[in-house]
Amino acid sequence: MSDTTHGPDRKERNAWFEADARLKRRHLADKRLRAYGIAAIVFALGMLATLVGTILITAAPAVTQTMVTFEVEVPEGSVDPANPSGGSYQTMLNASIARIFPDVDTPRELRELRQLFSNGGQYQLRDKILADPSLIGKTVSISFPMSDIGDQLHKGVIDRNLPPDFRRVNDTQIAWYDVLVERGQISSPLNWGLLFNADSRFPELAGLRGALVGSFFALLVCFLVSFPVGIAAAVYLEEFAPKNRLTDLIEVNINNLAAVPSIVFGLLGLAVFLNFFGMPRSAPIVGGLVLSLMTLPTIIIATRAALKAVPPSIREAAIGVGASKMQTVGHHVLPLAMPGILTGTIIGLAQALGETAPLLLIGMNAFITAAPDSMFNPSTALPTQIYIWADSPERGFTSRTSAAIIVLLGFLVCMNAIAIYMRKRFERRW
Amino acid sequence: MSAGHEAKISAAGVSVFYGEKQALFDVSIDIPARQVMAFIGPSGCGKSTFLRCINRMNDTIDICRVTGTIAIDGADIYDPKIDPVLLRARVGMVFQKPNPFPKSIYDNIAYGPRIHGVAKAGSQMDEIVETSLRRAGLWNEVKDRLREPGTGLSGGQQQRLCIARAIAVNPDVILMDEPCSALDPIATAKVEELIDELRERYTIVIVTHSMQQAARVSQKAAFFHLGNLIEVDDTERMFTNPRDQRTQDYITGRFG
Ligand SMILES: Nc1ncnc2c1ncn2[C@@H]1O[C@H](COP(=O)(O)OP(=O)(O)O)[C@@H](O)[C@H]1O
Ligand SMILES: [Mg+2]
Repeated sequence: MSDTTHGPDRKERNAWFEADARLKRRHLADKRLRAYGIAAIVFALGMLATLVGTILITAAPAVTQTMVTFEVEVPEGSVDPANPSGGSYQTMLNASIARIFPDVDTPRELRELRQLFSNGGQYQLRDKILADPSLIGKTVSISFPMSDIGDQLHKGVIDRNLPPDFRRVNDTQIAWYDVLVERGQISSPLNWGLLFNADSRFPELAGLRGALVGSFFALLVCFLVSFPVGIAAAVYLEEFAPKNRLTDLIEVNINNLAAVPSIVFGLLGLAVFLNFFGMPRSAPIVGGLVLSLMTLPTIIIATRAALKAVPPSIREAAIGVGASKMQTVGHHVLPLAMPGILTGTIIGLAQALGETAPLLLIGMNAFITAAPDSMFNPSTALPTQIYIWADSPERGFTSRTSAAIIVLLGFLVCMNAIAIYMRKRFERRW
Repeated sequence: MSAGHEAKISAAGVSVFYGEKQALFDVSIDIPARQVMAFIGPSGCGKSTFLRCINRMNDTIDICRVTGTIAIDGADIYDPKIDPVLLRARVGMVFQKPNPFPKSIYDNIAYGPRIHGVAKAGSQMDEIVETSLRRAGLWNEVKDRLREPGTGLSGGQQQRLCIARAIAVNPDVILMDEPCSALDPIATAKVEELIDELRERYTIVIVTHSMQQAARVSQKAAFFHLGNLIEVDDTERMFTNPRDQRTQDYITGRFG
């Protein structure tokens, strides 16, 4: 065709060129459209990066916790070995602080000095003695968190070059802090307390343990309720229910239920579980039940889709060898649909994990300083804990709020990753 | 040839409706025992519909309604006292597309006997699996990989696995709905050979759209057209000397 003498005649070639001009315009439009698409994606990614970036930067200070280490003498006789929890540990700790700062004696100065440290020291000392009573009469080394201002000072969040009136620590406190740094008593290890401590008024002591345990219990209840009920409902609707007006109505309503704002479920939970059934306020069991109301439609819809995807030939095969309807579903259809069902369930649970509004309504935003022992104890959940911390005025909570958001996002990403993995892993062709 | 055979299945006045639409009109036919009966006819003429009446597979379709009687060994299978689940153990079915369970070869065969309580797991079950696979002519090909998935076999092997699965519950009758239409010629030949062997033990009804196949495997043939049973005869006679014009037209390739 490249040889012109054998090509189409002149007239035809002109027609080709005209078409070519139109083609060019069309290609141009294509290109434009692609550019718009790419721009939209870049914009979306930019927003996401900004969001995650901001959270990460804000959370960075919470990665470490400034700790102070003291050698505390536990004099023989100061603690009753039969009842070690009764010792006056704060006094011993104060004594060892006083040894380092012998000049500090006015009550005001003493108070200011102690403001640098959290009040976690005495408990740690007590726990050490409780764990090993043979330490009585020896010198015990304890390492406990600095207070919020000590922490902020160490991390440079409080700028020591500002005039004293503009910062929350005075010059003497800075001087004391510098002495401690010089003596090598200040360290900043990874902030494991953020994960393993329960909530506290003091940011340096506050952790997510209660929220994690509460969320775990709530999700457990949510799973235990919504998974079997959801599957049973979906199996009935998909495999057994006659196709009539009533089942159509039910189907439409289930789909609508999935779109109901979550706060409405919270109100329902408040009215039904708390007020009518008198279940305990703030308890993960109620949270889980409310969340299961929200998760149910998701699971039902996912299960029905998974059941529909099982080819009819498998059902025919089972029925053909004389399996009953129940056996066909139980032995063949449901197992084959299980990966899809589990994927949908995990996605539903991930949604439930991040849900805040319904939990606020049933009081899971209470201030609770101990992790719940069971699903009946009052507790917070991850999102409500974030809500509480975001509302707290102490500087230390700013970074901890962001850190908690990262923990929550981490769980969500993990759950979704598992769902995607399962979908890929069990994807089947018949 | 047919004279010595008593009727295994005998249908009288069978009509089938899908909702309002009638798909089968007043079909009466006797199907002899231990022979191969072929249902032929243009597509959509109701062959599968009638076949699925014989093991009450149509029960699973909500809108499907069957009237008339079908008796196997003299017992009406649409009698309310008959459990379709037990009926389907006596009347096995092989489908158009091979549809092994996505389980091991062994479990594919063992599933039927297990749910019917014919055999417990163990040597008794091993024996059933082996016999069924031998009868389906598949034993030598798969005996070393019984634990591998049945879906990993070739199409022809899968179809023979499905036949073995049907045999495993010890049926009297085996229904086959175009069992070779998804297979290549070599696999088809193997399945046809197998059908010929199975005739010794089982009554076989096969739907086929291939005239040659009907001629190769069947002793009797029934020609359906637009929901009506046009004629039933010895296959040889029908193919050489059809009585009805429509049969003649179909056999000579005028339509279909
Ligand atoms: N499940 C069904 N629902 C409604 N109509 C059906 C169904 N199955 C078959 N039919 C109709 O019944 C007629 C016979 O179909 P079928 O028995 O499958 O024909 P064949 O197997 O001879 O090709 C066709 O007109 C078809 O449209
Ligand atoms: Mg058919």
